[in-house]
Amino acid sequence: MIRRVWREDFRIIGYYTGLVTIGVGLLMLVPMVTSLVFREWASALDFAISAALTLLVGYVLVLISRTKSTPGLTHAMVIAAGSWLVAMVLSGVPYMLSGHSESFLDACFDTMSGYTTTGIFLLQDLDHISQGLNMWRHLLTYVGGQGIVVLALTFLIGSTGGAFKIMVGEGKEEKLEPNVRHIAVLIWRISLIYLGVGTVALGLIAIANGIKPSLAFFHGAYVFMSAWSTGGFAPYSQNMLYYHSSAMEIASMVFFILGSFNFALHYAIWSGNRREILRNVEIVSFTITVLTTFSLVCLALMQRGVYPDAVALFRRGFFQLVSGHTTTGQSNIYARTFVREWGPLGMLATTIAMAIGASAASTGGGFKGLRMGIIVKGIATDIRKLLSPERAVVTGHYHHLHDNTLTDSVVKGAAVIVVLYVLIYVVGAVVGMAYGYPMVDAFFESVSAGSNTGLSCGVTQASMPTLLKIVYMLEMWMGRLEFLSVFTLFGFIATSFRSMRVRKAAV
Amino acid sequence: MKKLCAVLIIVALAVLIVAPVSASAVQPPLLSTNELVENSYKWDGQTVSFKGEILQDLMVREDGTWMNLSDGNNTAMGVFVPKGVAMPVISRTEDYRTVGDVVLITGVFHRVCAQHEGETDIHAVSVTVLTPGSAKANPIRLGRAVWFVVLAGLLGLVMWLYYRKPGRGTEH
Repeated sequence: MIRRVWREDFRIIGYYTGLVTIGVGLLMLVPMVTSLVFREWASALDFAISAALTLLVGYVLVLISRTKSTPGLTHAMVIAAGSWLVAMVLSGVPYMLSGHSESFLDACFDTMSGYTTTGIFLLQDLDHISQGLNMWRHLLTYVGGQGIVVLALTFLIGSTGGAFKIMVGEGKEEKLEPNVRHIAVLIWRISLIYLGVGTVALGLIAIANGIKPSLAFFHGAYVFMSAWSTGGFAPYSQNMLYYHSSAMEIASMVFFILGSFNFALHYAIWSGNRREILRNVEIVSFTITVLTTFSLVCLALMQRGVYPDAVALFRRGFFQLVSGHTTTGQSNIYARTFVREWGPLGMLATTIAMAIGASAASTGGGFKGLRMGIIVKGIATDIRKLLSPERAVVTGHYHHLHDNTLTDSVVKGAAVIVVLYVLIYVVGAVVGMAYGYPMVDAFFESVSAGSNTGLSCGVTQASMPTLLKIVYMLEMWMGRLEFLSVFTLFGFIATSFRSMRVRKAAV
Repeated sequence: MKKLCAVLIIVALAVLIVAPVSASAVQPPLLSTNELVENSYKWDGQTVSFKGEILQDLMVREDGTWMNLSDGNNTAMGVFVPKGVAMPVISRTEDYRTVGDVVLITGVFHRVCAQHEGETDIHAVSVTVLTPGSAKANPIRLGRAVWFVVLAGLLGLVMWLYYRKPGRGTEH
């Protein structure tokens, strides 16, 4: 039986959503300062207006929802899903004020893409936006990768009873430490250390490539934030092609592979458990699926004679494939090259890699390697059961941080999520095909949105149908939050209406 | 004599008419990024012309200079100017406050460049500045400044209301 919704429920949800909104408002000060540094006065004012508006909304929410109650699981899920929507809308204000978005829907599309670390965009004339807006785009994707709620928990909430549930709602279910604030701090510590190292490394490469030192470290920071969060944005429309640099691509690839790993795996390695990287089921699954899909890409590219030699094939083919598999979406070929040169097999292999995606509790999207590993091991265990004598007890195991027994409920849980991902991929593709896009293109783009990858074969454009934009936005949102919190939000809204009707009838 | 004059006039006219056609026939076609990418096999290895605004970074390398030319909304092409090709003085490159120089280049288009590990690029054989860059206006709009003042005032009021009472936080 579903419980009724009371005023206190709204208070709890409003209060925590308000805190997250305040976090978003404070975050807008970073691009504002960036614009001031580059003397982009109009852009700085746009961010000042956006920050004031966002902070105002946040403070109004916490003021009217002031409560001392602790969120339960339902609240946590609604807060996680709802906060992302509120953040998406308010973060779109600077886009709209910049004049580079054709509509507010397009602005929201871009912020949803940023927060969910997808990377497709509808922004107009990207090559002429301010440094402030570029900083904002990349900051969104960096914060989205770690989780907005994680940010708010770290900096705004002193003690955090019930907060772990909100993190679960945001797709960060690994409990690395007993105290949730410690988990949040840990995730941010890992990310900030990598941010420092990555910005310096990529900045130095940019200088070596001939970019002015005053700009090189901004390029370094942007590319790092995009790579580490498996986001896929870049400061210019050519994406990684802008740099004409294999060193930049290799360094970025290292960071997006690291970003696609489970935070728990990072923690295990940082804690001295280095053998975990060789035994972890997600790493094994990732290695196998990368090799398989890359073999298909090589076959497709060689059949069509796309690249003149192995070096070119590896540099373009491997980068694109791994960028897709880690759900990053950075690109060192033009979007239309997929359609014009890679052909259906190359696109299909990339689509499969994107669909599988990165590791659980990472910055990446897709089904996740953990679920792939569990399902494959589950199938193998069932086959072993069929081949064994009836009295034999056959149990499967998988290694993720420690040895785990493969129970039916674990396999079922993984399978349900995979089925839901497939469902959103198919729905997005069918809507695309209904608008006349070829099947391969429609599937490629839909899987890219649903798995939060961001590679594009040219479907995503400001001129695309409005319904398709909305479908892709829903795919990005659901794919990033892994469904549960989104479904809970829908359920909460429906229950709220029912409770109102019941109360009215009682009066 | 009359006949001779008439013949000469006809020949002269014919030369005047045909000459520009012949000249334009040797001029490489002016193409866009979209045209080159969509028909990459057709233009691969061909000499083409390309016009665009120089994006922010001119990247000088050992064997030449890379520049990215923007030729429309979210379309740009990488152009490699090898050492030895005369590079004009570039006064400005693009940034938020600056319109970069618009240049016309002639060069060989590569669908997958063998020298640059499969990159889609143009190797320039000539570079000409068509329009020098200029500063862009970056004015603060009064209406927006007023909006900011109003929002900041409201924010101050709400923050005062929130922080004036003790025990604003949650208990866990």
